[in-house]
Amino acid sequence: MKRNILVITVVLATLGIMIWAGVANYRRQQHEQSNLKRLQAMIEATEPQSAANQDDGIDENPLQGKMAPNFTLTDTNGRKVSLADYKGKAVVVDFWATWCPPCKVEIPWLEQFNKQYSAQGLQVLGISEDDLNLDNKTELAKEKKQIADTATQLKITYPVLYDDANVSAPYGGVDGLPTTFFINRNGKIVASTVGLAPREQIEADIKKALSSGGGES
Amino acid sequence: MRRLCCVALLVMTATAGAQKLPWQGRMNGASLDTKRPQDVQYLFPEQVSVAAGRDAVIEMHFRVNHGMHINSHTPKEKWLIPTKLLVTTSPELKVERMEFPAGEDYTLAAMPKAKLSVYTGDFVVRAHIVARPGQHILQGTLRYQACDTNSCYPPREAPIAVDVIAK
Repeated sequence: MKRNILVITVVLATLGIMIWAGVANYRRQQHEQSNLKRLQAMIEATEPQSAANQDDGIDENPLQGKMAPNFTLTDTNGRKVSLADYKGKAVVVDFWATWCPPCKVEIPWLEQFNKQYSAQGLQVLGISEDDLNLDNKTELAKEKKQIADTATQLKITYPVLYDDANVSAPYGGVDGLPTTFFINRNGKIVASTVGLAPREQIEADIKKALSSGGGES
Repeated sequence: MRRLCCVALLVMTATAGAQKLPWQGRMNGASLDTKRPQDVQYLFPEQVSVAAGRDAVIEMHFRVNHGMHINSHTPKEKWLIPTKLLVTTSPELKVERMEFPAGEDYTLAAMPKAKLSVYTGDFVVRAHIVARPGQHILQGTLRYQACDTNSCYPPREAPIAVDVIAK
C-alpha cells in the first residue's frame, strides 16, 4: 500500500513538472515571438535608409562608436606614423595587401577621396597586411620593397604603413581584406567596411567621419 | 503502476529532448568558434598501395568551399599567391614532382578587364612518387590564398597525410 502511494506521488510529481515545463515553455515562446516581431518592425523601419547607414545594423563592427586603437608604424618612406598625429582630422584606415585584387579596386577611390576631402580635414592611411619575415633582414627588405613598389604602381600618395607590430589585432584581428575603418575628428570609429564596398558607401562613410566628432568633448 | 511511472519518465525525457526547457540555457552560444574554418578541404585518399621502387602517381583530391576561389598554381599576375603543395620527401618516399590542374578563368565584377586563374569546387593534384618497400606517410600542406567575390583572406595551409603502402 505504502509503495503504491509512493509510486502515485512520484507519477503525480512528474506530471506536475511536465505541466509546469509546458506552460513555462509556452510563455517563453510567446515572449520570443513578440521580441521577434518587435525586431522585424525595427528592421522594416530602418530599411529605407541609404546604403551609407547599412553598417549601423545588428552586424556592425564591435569597435564602432569606440576610440580607434592608436598605433605607430613605419611608412614606405621610413617615416614613423602614429594615428595620434592626425588628432582633429578625420582618418580612414585601410587594411590591404599586395595580393588582394579587391583592395586594388578600392585604393584608387581612396586616393581620389584623400585629395578631394583633404582641405576638409581627411587623411587616408593604408596599412599593408602582407606577411613580413621579421627574423630575416634580407627577406624583410625584399618584402618591404615589394609593398613600396606596389604602392608606387597604384599611385598611392597617402602614407602606406608596414604592419610589423600586428596592429590589426586591436582592430579586431582583421581577416577579410580590404577592411576599412572611418574615424572621426575625435578619434572615434564611426563606420567600417569589410570587403570591397560600393564607392558611394565609402564616400558617405568619409562624409560621416568628417561631419561628426568635431564638437564632442 | 510501475509501467505508468516509466511511461511518464519517457515522455518527459522525449519532451526535454525535443525543445528547450526553461532551465536549459543556450546550447550553441558558448561553443561558437570565431576562427574562420579552412576554405579548402583535403578529401581523399587516406591510404594508397603502390608498387615499390617504381614511379607511381597519387591523385590527391581537394575541395574549395562554395562561394570561394583560390589562385591556381600558375596565376596570371606575379603579385598573386599561387597554390602550392609542400610535402616532405625522403629516400624512403621520394616525391619526384607535382602536377597541378590548369586554372579556370575568373573575373571579379569590380575588375571586369582582369582575368584571374583560379580553382573552384573540386580539383586534383597528382604527386609522382617512388617508394621503397614498406609503409610510409606522405605528409604536407596545401598553401593557398582564398577570396570570395568581395574579400580576400590571408594565405593559409591545409594539412594532408596519405598512408603509402609500397609492396
